[in-house]
Amino acid sequence: MKKMTAPPPLTRLVQRAPMLSYSASNLLQVMTTASHELEDVIRLVKHDSILTAQVLRVVNSPVFAPLQPITTIERAVLYLGEKIIVGIAVADSAVKLLHTRLEGYEAKQGDLWRHDLFTAIASREVIRYAKNEIDAGVAFTGGLLHDIGKAIISDCLAGTSREVLYRIEQGVVSDYITAEQELLGYDHAVAGSELAVHWGLPEALQAVVRYHHQPELAPKEYRGLVYAVHLGDIIAMMWGQDTGSDGMQYQLDTRYTAYFEISPEQLAMIMLTAQDAFEEINQDFLPSKEAK
Amino acid sequence: MKDIVLGIGDLGVASTAGTTIKTYALGSCVAIIFLDPKTRCAGMAHIALPDSSINPEMRRKRIGYFADSAIPALLEAMVRNGTHPTAKGMIIKLVGGASIMDNNQTFNIGKRNLLAIKKILWTRGMGALAEDTGENFSRTVAVPVDTGEVIISCPGRGQWKI
Repeated sequence: MKKMTAPPPLTRLVQRAPMLSYSASNLLQVMTTASHELEDVIRLVKHDSILTAQVLRVVNSPVFAPLQPITTIERAVLYLGEKIIVGIAVADSAVKLLHTRLEGYEAKQGDLWRHDLFTAIASREVIRYAKNEIDAGVAFTGGLLHDIGKAIISDCLAGTSREVLYRIEQGVVSDYITAEQELLGYDHAVAGSELAVHWGLPEALQAVVRYHHQPELAPKEYRGLVYAVHLGDIIAMMWGQDTGSDGMQYQLDTRYTAYFEISPEQLAMIMLTAQDAFEEINQDFLPSKEAK
Repeated sequence: MKDIVLGIGDLGVASTAGTTIKTYALGSCVAIIFLDPKTRCAGMAHIALPDSSINPEMRRKRIGYFADSAIPALLEAMVRNGTHPTAKGMIIKLVGGASIMDNNQTFNIGKRNLLAIKKILWTRGMGALAEDTGENFSRTVAVPVDTGEVIISCPGRGQWKI
């Protein structure tokens, strides 16, 4: 497979991508600070009227069904938890990217969003089986953003799916991400991490996006977290929540056992729990939802 | 034309002309398809996991989730639609059960699903006439009741029948 004649420079693709909102960016920063408090989250939400309205809409929806209507951000944040608040902020802010139809992967509109959300939930479930402590909020948010690079490189891959799959089947390339590298000179993980840097996301999230297919290469301090999202990503694909032609076309890094102890039965429970949460959350994250 | 779309853990049966039973992106899940040539009835279950003993509550909530609860339930639904209780002459096809390489075996759920389904069928004296299973890609499957064809598709791989 030859490199495309002139794939656009990655910097141009990144600069063309929409910016993350001020609130989402700050919430992500706050979430990755170990010493942060719930008040920090409340303060940031209160300063964004659109986010405030969306949080109140979600908290009062039938899915979360409070006994009495919740009318203040303080109560909404307490009721939903900060992870869901960040998810709402990111989803609202990056809606255009996360809801992109990935033509280069022959995916339908909404597939990327559903895959990312399922990965986020599964990553959070996986860390219940971690040998060392991993922050659930960062794992969830990392899961939401791990494939953001696909949205910016997808158009460059249009019409290549069949050839890529043929080359993987023939053993010419080991997986989809290697094929992307061959075609474009960069891949969705590299593209996503460039965007994460451009957005000023915390280092932990940059590492998740960059190394979610090569967790062993992640900086040591984030490696457990990156493995969590690596497993969440694989679980989402196994569960049929994929992003089109690249579904299941990646390698599982079996060295995850250094960080997690998961039996087949526990994996099954992770999947069931993630599906339950996914069905609940997916209803209310996006205005234009398209549940599977 | 009417489509019955099955989500994970759903099962459905149809005998009305013009109806198609579909399920999307199986991944490691398996679609078991029953076709009764006598009644011209088709049934399908989207099975996610081999054994319901890990979560009896989920079994009550969505019986099609597990191989051990989905197969008897699908058979009962077929019998309610006129299939003989012995299911004699019924055609069975299997689609899905993809796996990701894992030397630790933990992630080989697709294989475990297929093994569980085949074992359950075997204990009932039944077996699949055709299957498109395993490997490492996710399949979407559609069964038009009129023809009983099992049409499989996958992004980047096109469409084929078994």
